[in-house]
Amino acid sequence: MGLDYQLVLWNKYKKTYDKIIVASMLFYIIVFAIVTLVFNSETSVETLVIRAFGSLAIIMLHVILVIGPLARLNTRFLPILYNRRHLGVLMFIAAFIHGGFSMFQFHALGDVNPIYSVFTSNMDYGSLTNFPFQVLGFFALLILFVMASTSHDFFLGNLSAKVWKRLHMMVYLAYALSIAHVFLGAFQQETSPFTIGIMAIGFVIVASLHLITAFKERKIDNTKTEEKEGWLEVCNISEIEEDRAKIFTIANERVAIFKYEGKLSAIHNVCKHQGGPLGEGKIIDGCITCPWHGYQYLPSNGQSPPPFTEKVATYELKLKGEIVYINPEAFDEGTEVKPCKI
Amino acid sequence: MTSGLRKAHTYIWLVLIIIVPVIMFFSIKDLNVFSSENNTVSQHTDLKKDSLKSFENDIVKMAVFESHVEIILKTTLKSSSSIVYDVDEKGNKSNVIGQLTTAGVYKFNINNLPKGIIIYDDLKQVEITKFSL
Repeated sequence: MGLDYQLVLWNKYKKTYDKIIVASMLFYIIVFAIVTLVFNSETSVETLVIRAFGSLAIIMLHVILVIGPLARLNTRFLPILYNRRHLGVLMFIAAFIHGGFSMFQFHALGDVNPIYSVFTSNMDYGSLTNFPFQVLGFFALLILFVMASTSHDFFLGNLSAKVWKRLHMMVYLAYALSIAHVFLGAFQQETSPFTIGIMAIGFVIVASLHLITAFKERKIDNTKTEEKEGWLEVCNISEIEEDRAKIFTIANERVAIFKYEGKLSAIHNVCKHQGGPLGEGKIIDGCITCPWHGYQYLPSNGQSPPPFTEKVATYELKLKGEIVYINPEAFDEGTEVKPCKI
Repeated sequence: MTSGLRKAHTYIWLVLIIIVPVIMFFSIKDLNVFSSENNTVSQHTDLKKDSLKSFENDIVKMAVFESHVEIILKTTLKSSSSIVYDVDEKGNKSNVIGQLTTAGVYKFNINNLPKGIIIYDDLKQVEITKFSL
């Protein structure tokens, strides 16, 4: 850890997004409190806090879950993806306040450990309408805690991108647990068709966007490329914009072919940071720059410029007339490959 | 994202799109979200026929039988502890008959015909409603 080490690297864009998120959260809490006090003035402060932060957390979780597919479907959403981790941590804080107040109000005043009480105060696990829904919320909160506490790049670097990504894919389990928590808990007492409808529509939107994106990506993955003597014909050189790339699928993996300074270079399309699509980025200051979080790689060897150590696989290219060919055998990550001159 | 991760995402969402709606459906199918009042009215009308005594106010409908009490809680109460007591001869709460939680129909066994019924919030120590026989 160097002298200039900073725990969180904020820039002016991240600061703006964070201010917008915090202001939106405060606005929601205030509006929720006003509406509750106007229509249900007998509500206690504890109940108000539990409901306000619980509903806020579930709304934020829905927003977080649609950012990924939206960014895949439309690049205008990429700036939001860039800031998603801060949104996730703030969502956890909202969920933690909800869970903390709930544990205090319903389980902390007895003669047993509050966490033990969550699991044992209602043992009707065989019932749907009287299911101990707080247990589901507890596990969802536990997953969100693990995710929020490992969202820093320190853990990404030490756990490895593969482990980190798998850990953070548990958000889908947390989402399912949260929905079950709400439907088997709050909705058993507040049987409003409006709130039930909103949650159902929310799930339909989130699930639809993920499936639409998945099938779109699958179509790209299944694209076949013609092979001639160990080389795959990929495209006409005019199809690649200057300082940009065209992405191709080779043996189910995507490769990005960049055109820059009268040269062509090909690297594996997946960023080592969080799996961002490098081929959708552009060359800035001579480096391929990931569109998600700005990680950079040199086009000729797939290595991040020093002092960074990330490396991706590289590929050999050749040009016959206007047609670009690629050798489908990937070189080891970070292998220097002479760029193909145009 | 690698092809493996893309596949994993697809399978996860295919599973969720089956499981989550099933949970949603079974958790609300017995709630009578759109017609709870009509159902409780019809159930109570049937109850009245054989009961020794019946009562109704904004909170509950109640029918007392020889061996049990049936209570229809119209809406979930705001109090976190709603205990049903029988009433002694002095008009005070006596024995616990049962506890109310969410809106719905409750049936509690009784040994003797009570002098009355009180629904009481034990935490706030507030009487929610009271009937005398």
